[in-house]
Amino acid sequence: MNIETSYSGDTAVGVVSGRVDSSNAKDFDGELSGIIDGGATNLVLDCGSLRYISSAGLRALLIAIRKTNQAGGGLALCQVPENILEVLEVSGFVRLTKVFDTVEEAQASFK
Amino acid sequence: MRIAVKPDPSEPRRVVDEVERFCLERGLSNDIIFRFQLSLDELLTNVVSYGFEGVKDDPVITVDIRLGDADIEITIRDNGQPFNPLEDAETPDISLAAEDRPIGGLGIHLTKSFIDTLAYERVEGFNCLTLRQPLGAAGTEESPDEH
Repeated sequence: MNIETSYSGDTAVGVVSGRVDSSNAKDFDGELSGIIDGGATNLVLDCGSLRYISSAGLRALLIAIRKTNQAGGGLALCQVPENILEVLEVSGFVRLTKVFDTVEEAQASFK
Repeated sequence: MRIAVKPDPSEPRRVVDEVERFCLERGLSNDIIFRFQLSLDELLTNVVSYGFEGVKDDPVITVDIRLGDADIEITIRDNGQPFNPLEDAETPDISLAAEDRPIGGLGIHLTKSFIDTLAYERVEGFNCLTLRQPLGAAGTEESPDEH
């Protein structure tokens, strides 16, 4: 798992690649928390290169959703591969976060 | 093929990698690989993290993979606490808002959703959980190339 982050104002875009599973969900949580605690109230996660996310990763995602909500912002996902979208649907996460096709659409949702 | 698993948090990732290699070498679909990767991470993490609390016997955990003509079957065996994930795990309420959601409880739910057939039995002191997936599963039919 790796996250490459870029910033524009109070919106951060994190490009997530690899796998988020039980072995590295803590690192994923730490990286997301670092981005949000660093002042980004809006967080876009580009999931185009994400291979899979297990329930441990969803827990970290839930914490990030709560944090951005509390900060008055939000979390949006984009470029989500089909099988990972199924994970988000089955777990009910599609109701907790918005899912967009492109990074631009996700960014625009915060304006 | 049988994989022996140690009761260690780093093991689920290693088993997932071995199962992926097994499937790739046999030309199985990415859809099947994804389903087993997700489920094995969830199930084995439960076993190595909680399965042996208060158990005095030396932990024995194995993963067996059997490829048939029409399906692939993976069986997880462990001599930990008796635990039937199909009945003993609570069903999470996925309609709750982010603030009201408990942290956790999704792993078994995901496994049940992503694996076609699951069967549990307790045999001679071992939990035996079998995951069966038909070859040429749903995902291949949904591929854009097929339309």
